[in-house]
Amino acid sequence: MTHNQGGPRRDPATEPGSAGEPATADLAVLLTRVARGDQVAYEEVYDQLAGPVLGMVRRVVRDLAQSEEVMQEVLLELWRTASRFDRDKGSAASWVMTIAHRRAIDRVRSEQKSAERELRAASAQIDYDEVTETALATLDRERVRRCMESLTELQRESVTLAYYGSYTYDEVAGLLGVATGTVKTRMRDGLIRLRDCLGVD
Amino acid sequence: MRRGRSELHTLAGAYALDAVSDEDRARFERHLAHCDSCAQEIRGLREATARIGASAAVRPRPELKNQALSAAARTRQLPPVSRDAPAARRGWRGLLAGARGRAGLWSPRLAAALTAGFLVIAVAMAVLMVGTQHRLDADQVRGRAIAAVLNASDVIMLTAKVTTGGTATILESTREHSLVFTAARLRALPAGSSYELWLMGPEGTRSAGMLPASRAGMIGPMVVSGLAAGEDVGLTVEPAGGAARPTSAMIMKLGLVR
Repeated sequence: MTHNQGGPRRDPATEPGSAGEPATADLAVLLTRVARGDQVAYEEVYDQLAGPVLGMVRRVVRDLAQSEEVMQEVLLELWRTASRFDRDKGSAASWVMTIAHRRAIDRVRSEQKSAERELRAASAQIDYDEVTETALATLDRERVRRCMESLTELQRESVTLAYYGSYTYDEVAGLLGVATGTVKTRMRDGLIRLRDCLGVD
Repeated sequence: MRRGRSELHTLAGAYALDAVSDEDRARFERHLAHCDSCAQEIRGLREATARIGASAAVRPRPELKNQALSAAARTRQLPPVSRDAPAARRGWRGLLAGARGRAGLWSPRLAAALTAGFLVIAVAMAVLMVGTQHRLDADQVRGRAIAAVLNASDVIMLTAKVTTGGTATILESTREHSLVFTAARLRALPAGSSYELWLMGPEGTRSAGMLPASRAGMIGPMVVSGLAAGEDVGLTVEPAGGAARPTSAMIMKLGLVR
């Protein structure tokens, strides 16, 4: 499962959603070049990842200016630490999105008060279906939406509140009024179902 | 410990979603280090969460890109670390050898992709070289040196923008201790000045030679042999005869053997 980064079903950037655009270079190969100081490779990495990173961070952080700041931090971090990328631990896209999500969550948890977070919880769900003008319309987006719909309501709510609402499983359990053990299980089952539906190993 | 192993295991979903406290995260990561199946599960779940995130992609303001590129140009990069000997910096070669032993970092697929990519480059450069190779013995020697780099199993291609204009491309093989340098569209220099290539390492900076004259906007290929571990390559503008040490600012820099 760690060796198919270049596989057609794996990398969102090479999905047919970007039809009409030339095939994108393999991110993992680009990262090995970035690790040696190759600025041209870095520019390609930026082009491939800035959009996904900003889109995800904005869902979590909400404020556009702050989200842009987080995105820039993440991409600079990527330049700085490209030599630490380890294919054994997953695809390059997943590595970067993981770093970005952690940063976004940290930003929210350190800055927002719980009252504001409750408001966000309500909107996180509605927002999932919102298609903004700047959204990059891709087949991948449609596929993720379809797969999210295949989850049970509790699985979907648990995953969404955690990923975009930046709640811990304890907090999600409190919000949904279910046992923490149940929420943990739903998060895991939900992600396993998503993983299988999306065809990522 | 408050929780048993199986209970820890169910934390995989929450962990992959970053829906855990710092305390839970630390505990789960300790568990991950000793549980291969958990680590594998996390990889899969992370791919899934990354796809959720990527599906929200938006188009960033274009001006952010230049900011990011210039920030990167000002920022020093971390050298690679060895996973089993973090204290000792083993260098690029050690890293490669170690990774092969663990079937890690450089997967067969990456190697195959790289090989395929460089084969195309090698053929292209070989075609370019056909004309020159027949001219002189010196050219034949150089041609063989270039072929040795291009055919090396560890060859890597690096590209850098030259700050005064143009691009530099380097094909480098650690195993061959050599690199092939080419450049395109470099700014024409006034008479009396010339581009000089440098190797900069822990032992100091040494000249790798003057760049040959540009033909139809292209320079090279030029072979530099005898690379040492830890050396970076740089480019400056110097008096036409060359300098023993750089006398002006680097206009291009790339990391080589780390």
